[in-house]
Amino acid sequence: MWWLPRGLHPGAWWLWALGLATAASHTTNPLPLALLVAVAGRVLGRRRGDAPWALAFRMYVWLGAVIVTMRVVFRIVFGGGQGDHILVRLPEIPLPAWAAGIRLFGPVAAEQILGGFYDGLRLATMLICLGAANALANPKRLLKAVPGALYAIGTAVVVALSVAPQLVESVLRVRRARRLRGASARGMRALRGIALPVLADALDRSLALAAAMDSRGYGRTAAVPAGQRTVTGALVLGGLVGVCAGTYGLLDTAAPGYLGLPMLLAGLTAAVTGMLLAGRRVRRSRYRPDRWRPAELLVAGCGVAAAALTMLAGSVDPELLYPPVSPLTWPQLTPLMLLAVGVAAAPAWLAPPPPPTVSAGRPPAVDRPIPVTDVPADGVRAARASTPGDRP
Amino acid sequence: MSVLRVAPRTAVVLTLASAAALATFTWPFFVPAHPESTARTGEAPLVFIVMLPVLVALVLAELTSGGIDSKALAMLGVLAAVNAALRPLGAGTAGIETVFFLLVLAGRVFGPGFGFLLGATSLFASALLTAGVGPWLPFQMLCASWIGLGAGLLPARLRGRAEVAVLAGYGMLAAYGYGLLMNLWFWPFSVGADTQLSYVAGAPVLENLHRLALFTAVTSTFGWDTGRAITTAVAIVLAGPAVLAALRRAVRRAAFGAPVTFAAASDRPAAKVTGIPQSSSQAT
Repeated sequence: MWWLPRGLHPGAWWLWALGLATAASHTTNPLPLALLVAVAGRVLGRRRGDAPWALAFRMYVWLGAVIVTMRVVFRIVFGGGQGDHILVRLPEIPLPAWAAGIRLFGPVAAEQILGGFYDGLRLATMLICLGAANALANPKRLLKAVPGALYAIGTAVVVALSVAPQLVESVLRVRRARRLRGASARGMRALRGIALPVLADALDRSLALAAAMDSRGYGRTAAVPAGQRTVTGALVLGGLVGVCAGTYGLLDTAAPGYLGLPMLLAGLTAAVTGMLLAGRRVRRSRYRPDRWRPAELLVAGCGVAAAALTMLAGSVDPELLYPPVSPLTWPQLTPLMLLAVGVAAAPAWLAPPPPPTVSAGRPPAVDRPIPVTDVPADGVRAARASTPGDRP
Repeated sequence: MSVLRVAPRTAVVLTLASAAALATFTWPFFVPAHPESTARTGEAPLVFIVMLPVLVALVLAELTSGGIDSKALAMLGVLAAVNAALRPLGAGTAGIETVFFLLVLAGRVFGPGFGFLLGATSLFASALLTAGVGPWLPFQMLCASWIGLGAGLLPARLRGRAEVAVLAGYGMLAAYGYGLLMNLWFWPFSVGADTQLSYVAGAPVLENLHRLALFTAVTSTFGWDTGRAITTAVAIVLAGPAVLAALRRAVRRAAFGAPVTFAAASDRPAAKVTGIPQSSSQAT
């Protein structure tokens, strides 16, 4: 059953987090925003594993704090959103004309600081929600779910992720070889002596990897009739022309209304359809694919529902979601908003718990479709022997 | 020598998508000020944040749609890994940026299409490794991709010292351009709407440029960008010749674009099948 410990489909966590971010983008009221941050933290506390990416959340919280502080400090130093409730009067510093006649500091009003704080908190909350998705979803499994058209890029990123740790091992090996030969150069020369052999080693490794991929049948493509290729090309090109026109329409008031968002959406849809059609050329099999099961649907549904409830609350009572800064009012919560926050928090209990730690430190799923280390020994020896910096 | 052939259709797609993407960076200069359109412009930044990842995905899919060679793919992955491993080295230490140097050199050796892909995959892999996926990532990916693309488009005939000098100059320019574009993207989000440093909707482009310059000066990103430009140029001058040689050697060994022919087993001497890296180009 779905409450057995297992990793959730990464797409479900991303949809949930995007729903929360959408909800946050529809309000500047600090109470629901603070609640949403708390919800993200709570779900994370109950449902994250102990993989390296699960530790990223703290960075996002710091980034959010920096954004809020920056907004408020900018408001204090550069003014904006003046009000009547003056807290302090700082000495004004007028700047010369080349600086656009800006004056620094001056009176600081409560409205000014609150406005900056509200705006910054909204942005920070959206960011923290995305941070929760980063920490909860396994990025390697997400790469497995990319559409066929992006398969090559996804494979390249998987190769990059698998090779990066091996570079450390490569550095250690080159350093050991240098020490054995009694090389004692330091500083710039030592860096050269290590960096270049490591680079050459990595490049040789890529050739060995390509041979391994070829021998396992990588690059098999399905035959696509010429007619279909023309259609996909036309869809992608036409869609992009639509996107350009839509962008122009969005930014130019003189343009007719249909040139704005509708054109942009139509263009994007056409282009993405073309891309997905083009992806049918790629034939591949998947080992243990992630499926959308009830738990995934529930988690994603919670995010979507939270966003929808917030929008509904906004249409019922916009005043409460965007509390006015002047006159100063105390922000309030509506039952609808509380319900949205409650729904957003539900995955903390509805989602299956994360799988227990694997002793070897490797994630349980198969993350390496391509065996990078599978090189015959003589190939590696040949590659190592020809590494330029390795010669005595 | 171009590892990834860019078909005419791909070039058109790349140009169109780049034009639309440039608007997602520079919209503060063009946003109109008329009150009746504020409802439309209020949502413009969010629309762009959603639109850009799709555009980047489209271009990447189009570039690889011709079927990318397995050797090029492995090279792409390995170089992206090196770039991603280089990136944390400079993170946090005032403006030392170590990503662009290998990106510029690889774009030069492997050609514009490969450079574009390498820019995007490097930043994506590094975001996954150090866990920094956010709304800024597609914008960073695209900027880095443009840098790799531009490096591939530099005049091909240059060699020796002139080549290193041109690459170092390009690296400096690219570092400043990257800083400026990312600043431009972050500008509306970091200062909010109505301070004296914010953009003014509908104001002349020059006035907004003035404000942007002040914002960059205030947030001390001038110093940051200068540090990045100097690091890139110095790294290219010091390590450039050796790295270029290593990359070119890899291109020769990989023999990209060599036609693969199949022959009956009896025609081939058995002893020749041992060399692993050359296996797919051996039959030429």
